[in-house]
Amino acid sequence: MYKYLVFLEQRDGIVKNASIELWNTLQQLAAVREDVTVCGVLAGAVDLHQLYDSLAGNGAVYHASAQGFTLYNSERYARLAADIFKREACNALFFADTILSRELAPKLSIRLKAAMLSGFPLFDATGADSGTLRPVYSGSAIASFHFQSPLRIYTISSVPILSATSSRGHIDFIPLQRPFSDTEEEFFPLLRRMTMREGRPDVTEAGIIISGGRGVGGAEGFVLLEQLALLLGGVVGASRPAVDEGWRPQSEQIGQTGKTVNPALYFACGISGSVQHLAGIASSAVVVAINNDCHAPIFDIADYGIVGDLRLVLPELLCALQDFLKKQ
Amino acid sequence: MNIAVCVCQVPDTASVIGFVDGNGDFSRVHEVMNPYDEYALEEAVRLREHYPPCEVTVFSVAPDSAKEMVRKALAIGADRAILVDHTVVSDPYQTAIALSRAISVFYGDVLPDIVFCGKQSTDFQSAQVPPMLAELLGMGAVTGVCSLRFSSDALQVEREIEGGIEFFDLHYPALLSAEKGLNIPRKTSIKSIMEARKKQIDSYSLSLDVDPYVAMTGLKSLDRKKRCQFLSDGKELIMLLREKHKLF
Repeated sequence: MYKYLVFLEQRDGIVKNASIELWNTLQQLAAVREDVTVCGVLAGAVDLHQLYDSLAGNGAVYHASAQGFTLYNSERYARLAADIFKREACNALFFADTILSRELAPKLSIRLKAAMLSGFPLFDATGADSGTLRPVYSGSAIASFHFQSPLRIYTISSVPILSATSSRGHIDFIPLQRPFSDTEEEFFPLLRRMTMREGRPDVTEAGIIISGGRGVGGAEGFVLLEQLALLLGGVVGASRPAVDEGWRPQSEQIGQTGKTVNPALYFACGISGSVQHLAGIASSAVVVAINNDCHAPIFDIADYGIVGDLRLVLPELLCALQDFLKKQ
Repeated sequence: MNIAVCVCQVPDTASVIGFVDGNGDFSRVHEVMNPYDEYALEEAVRLREHYPPCEVTVFSVAPDSAKEMVRKALAIGADRAILVDHTVVSDPYQTAIALSRAISVFYGDVLPDIVFCGKQSTDFQSAQVPPMLAELLGMGAVTGVCSLRFSSDALQVEREIEGGIEFFDLHYPALLSAEKGLNIPRKTSIKSIMEARKKQIDSYSLSLDVDPYVAMTGLKSLDRKKRCQFLSDGKELIMLLREKHKLF
């Protein structure tokens, strides 16, 4: 029997898409395996109607909605997750791979005496003995890992794109009473406040990234990338040179000294493809490279390439895309 | 104030790792201090300079060949170093156990006020050791710190989250893991290198009575070279992305 507990991460009253996608994918697995059940734990108040509509399959979600759970608190959240994990006799605890889970999951690994693996795609969650694979050494190698404990914790960086919408079943939201409704006690570190950036999602959470490098030539050149991102429903990213030049903010920097991303589609515009940049995009699914230089190393790891001047290629691409979308 | 800094060695990104039969060949690899640890060390040394008296001790689970890296840490400004036997350690859990034991042995009953770590190491990027270490030591922790304000009875830190920033208050003792950009790490000078030669490096050999939680069972070169399909215009690309890959 496999009982999976999914930690549904909430920020600002909204459950993250990555958590929902993880739940839905595990539910798909549970639908074809009689020995797998999935339940969830949620800290903080959210719109439960909206959440009910997003979650597929059947299962209980244990909900601690008291005020003290609104803001992340590692000790409070750890006690909640550990308590439910033990009470419900779960074997595995799943998190979407986020800043929060990278901090919380190792703490729980010690508390629950559970083996953990962080930052790998949902490859084989059933604990098969073939081992679990993940890129290491900045993406130059791939390693297989075996758990040495029956209890497991995973932080999942990406789930497979679901081919069909999962069937809606029945989700039971179970409100948690004492001690999870008493939140007078303060646990340090204490999160005093959070400020969120306006606008688009973070590159680390984006499914489609239109990224630009030195070849874009300047801040104005990025306008074309922003337009493409808007049409495709993606976000803009940047390589280190573009950020160092001041054309894009640090928060968009992708690469070894920036962020690691795992989008389904990555456009590399005017990016040469240095080892340091590639380290940040190792887990991208489809890579499209647009560069003036046909020998640029980026073409070695791209699925599709267009050799040409960005200032000519991008407008043409935008036009073609606009025409295509109009016909839909 | 007592400050501990945990540092480790990683292969230099430019180094080429060979692969033989599911194992890595590191003979041509140049090892350097984990870049994230440089930020941790720099922050510790700054605190030492601004708020004396302070002692900064570096802990590293690493082979003897790491002495050069450890001397560099001493040249940057740490006061002394403990090199912990690495042969007994094979996963982040054991690394955290080894570090917590070394720290307990060194400091005795009174934990250091602050433990600084780098957020993650560039080789495996698991980011597990700092939070595990904090839990084992019974300290509060904030990972990925990008800004720090220090006072004699509390710490205020900031860290970036997806799309925003979080502001935390902490009490001592506390463990902090450094994000890139926390500070600008200093370069060593001839003078500091000479002074580092006089600083003490001790070796600890601890027997670990715990098994690893995870075993790495095979290491292969990841052949990332793909067959790039060159296209002449945007229309073809759009068709492929839509029809073949269903990306939008």
